[in-house]
Amino acid sequence: MNFNVANPLRLYQNALALLPCIGCSTVRFFCWRIILLSSWLLTDQGLFAQQQDSLSPQQLKMLSVEELLEIEVSLVSRSPQKLASAPSSVQVISGDDIRHSGASNLAEALRLVSNLQVAQQRSNAWIIGSRGFNAPFSNKLLVMIDGRTVYTPLFAGVFWDIQNVLLEDVEKIEVVSGPGGALWGANAVNGLINVVTKKTSATQGLYASVQAGTFVKDQASLRWGGKLGKKVTYKLYGQHYDRNSTKNPDGSDFQDEWRNTQGGFKIDWEGNKSDNYTVQGDYYGGTVKTGDNYSDFNGQNVLARWRREISDSSDLMFQIYYDRYYKSDAPGMTSDEIKTIDLDFQYRFPLAKRHTISTGAGYRRVKDEFISTNAFIAILPSTKNLDLLTAFIQDEISLSQSLKLSLGTKLINNVYTGMEWQPGIRFAWSINNKNSMWASVTRAVRTPSRVDVDYFSPAVPQPPTAFSIVGGPNFRSEKVLAYELGHRLVSGSRSTFSIATFYNVYSDVYSLEPKSGTLTYEVKNGSEARAWGCEFSGSYQLLDTWKLRGGYSYFDIKLKSLSSQALDPSHLSNDVNNQVMLQSITQLPAGLHLDVIARYLDYLPATLATSTVPGYFTFDARLAYTMKFLELAVVGQNLYSKDHTEFDELNIPRSVYAKLTLRL
Amino acid sequence: MFRSGCLRWWVAAAFAFILMFASSGMQAQQTRTREYNIKAVFLYNFTQFVEWPEEAFANNTAPFVVGILGEDPFRSVIDVTVAGEKVKEHPIIVRRYSNIKDLSTCHILFISETEAQKFLRSPAATKNKYMLTVSDAAGFANSGGMIRFVMQENKIKLQINPTVAKTAELNISSKLLRLADIVE
Repeated sequence: MNFNVANPLRLYQNALALLPCIGCSTVRFFCWRIILLSSWLLTDQGLFAQQQDSLSPQQLKMLSVEELLEIEVSLVSRSPQKLASAPSSVQVISGDDIRHSGASNLAEALRLVSNLQVAQQRSNAWIIGSRGFNAPFSNKLLVMIDGRTVYTPLFAGVFWDIQNVLLEDVEKIEVVSGPGGALWGANAVNGLINVVTKKTSATQGLYASVQAGTFVKDQASLRWGGKLGKKVTYKLYGQHYDRNSTKNPDGSDFQDEWRNTQGGFKIDWEGNKSDNYTVQGDYYGGTVKTGDNYSDFNGQNVLARWRREISDSSDLMFQIYYDRYYKSDAPGMTSDEIKTIDLDFQYRFPLAKRHTISTGAGYRRVKDEFISTNAFIAILPSTKNLDLLTAFIQDEISLSQSLKLSLGTKLINNVYTGMEWQPGIRFAWSINNKNSMWASVTRAVRTPSRVDVDYFSPAVPQPPTAFSIVGGPNFRSEKVLAYELGHRLVSGSRSTFSIATFYNVYSDVYSLEPKSGTLTYEVKNGSEARAWGCEFSGSYQLLDTWKLRGGYSYFDIKLKSLSSQALDPSHLSNDVNNQVMLQSITQLPAGLHLDVIARYLDYLPATLATSTVPGYFTFDARLAYTMKFLELAVVGQNLYSKDHTEFDELNIPRSVYAKLTLRL
Repeated sequence: MFRSGCLRWWVAAAFAFILMFASSGMQAQQTRTREYNIKAVFLYNFTQFVEWPEEAFANNTAPFVVGILGEDPFRSVIDVTVAGEKVKEHPIIVRRYSNIKDLSTCHILFISETEAQKFLRSPAATKNKYMLTVSDAAGFANSGGMIRFVMQENKIKLQINPTVAKTAELNISSKLLRLADIVE
């Protein structure tokens, strides 16, 4: 194919035409053309902008004022504005970024956050972490969906297969890295993932979609949003999907295909000027194939929240929720049922001239019932109540127009270790209206979970002469002292760029050590670690019709045991050193949309629990055609190679799906 | 498996990405085209939703003047939009003013963000009858201006202060007011 630099639009179309082809040489070709295209854009974009802009003054004049008011000014949405003022390492992906990505569930959507390490382990299991300690029992993130905490107190990590939301209705996902940014909630040792769905006033009408494909076999979603009187809006939704099996290294099916059906509702009541009430809930159930058998999961939750906005700098919030889930590992193995009631209260108010106080308290009652019907693993006692009391207070002091100091602490009272405190100090400096910097030092703890303390393998306590692993009755919280320094550049509403660096010192980290003179390995706090890294991320709106976002993250960790007899702790932190992600969202003429997400993740070293995973590059592409209320999309995921491994040894295959969407 | 050949291309693509960041300033102007295409048509539409009394014109065929004060974000788009259009018998023309003191009679005045504060403090803001004032500037309609374009959820919304318009003896139709945020 010839380069025709004289006709850049043609060049662009050529580059796009190449996309569906797969293979190294084609990708190389494509990359070259992207580079050529970019350099051309930097020098002579004017022509392009004119040609892309299909709305001429003559066409616009035919529209009524009502229609003019409804035109989207920028065809791809901009970064959320608040980012500029948040003095911490925050990445926000908007609902539009997600919808353009072709992601078909929450875990896949999180691949769009450039400093999260997302590894699909099995068809229904993902390991998602930030700043290290990625492992099947990854346990250092606080994950919330609409204010409801979803990490399980079983192992302080997240079962991603049971966290389902209608991606169409997601407003944004905020990812705060490091412990300092999360004022609220427990477990935010390495960060916080906060999934926020839209208010029901923004999800009015009918949404229906069906999709069919190879890895995501089928998915059907339906939502209806309506009004009850003037001030109450609601939505009802349902979703079902079937997802296919991952592959064994020899190419055969691992036989872990699964399905889920979920329904739910949300009601928003805009009371008087300052009061908002929300009630929402979900109900789900599904089946996972486990070899020749099937195992089940199901769950329900309901949440009510009252929020009062007193002024720009003062608000209060009270919320209560109930959440239950049941998940069985495999027939004849283990199952776990967890019921949670949680109450939270937050209040923010100005004090004197320079202070803004944020404070809050919460109470959580968890009842865990872990049933083991096998000889290998047990959690004893099988039933336990896990009460958690939390409180926090923070004072944000305006030292000058541009310099802010935040001082605060969180307190946690848990059943295992009693009271823990987590203080932090943070400086935020707005250098000018484009540049800001932050620096912080924070202490955080990861309180013990059931698998740290009440674990038995084999299921029946063994004599000291037989090999066994047991939980540590004296296991203490893991601690981190985190130092962060970052810089953000926001240039208008079209580009943001940030650099975050961190140095984390972990102590009292999980270890497995033999009791002296026995073969009984006990869970102890005998490891320590130092981790450091640097994260670049940014988004840039090149044209009204073209947006790029992405990032590069570097991470390294030194993890060691204090005891020479302890098992090698490296399996606790199976992290990549380098990762890169780039998303391109393009609006083409004639109602077409082309979106590409490419990512590269470094290799994972072998540990005593897992084998080496080679580094991999892959990309997803989505081509969509919109005609009034209909949208037809063809999506290819992991297109670069036939299959690739993200964790341990199972293969994730290249896949495609087609999706038809109706929005009325 | 990852093939090393492609790493080069990936790195090159990432490098190009960074280059684009470095040159963000160059893009700013072009990318505003679409926004101001729409705003130009709004300005034109105002001629149909606001009533100018005959006293606002020197004679029956005197031009209807759309003025732009300060930096002009519309470029030629505004000229194309109003070319050949009339308000009653008054042909619409565009005039550009770099300074407040250059202002002559105009019926719609768009004031650039950088000039808005200066304009609102000047006597021109209150003295000129029959002049519909429009701007993007924050707080414009709350502090003596008549219509402000507000970007909200990626769409252009209108903030209108009908009281100020009334003082200038302009009558804004209730249809337009219904579609706008009213500020006092």
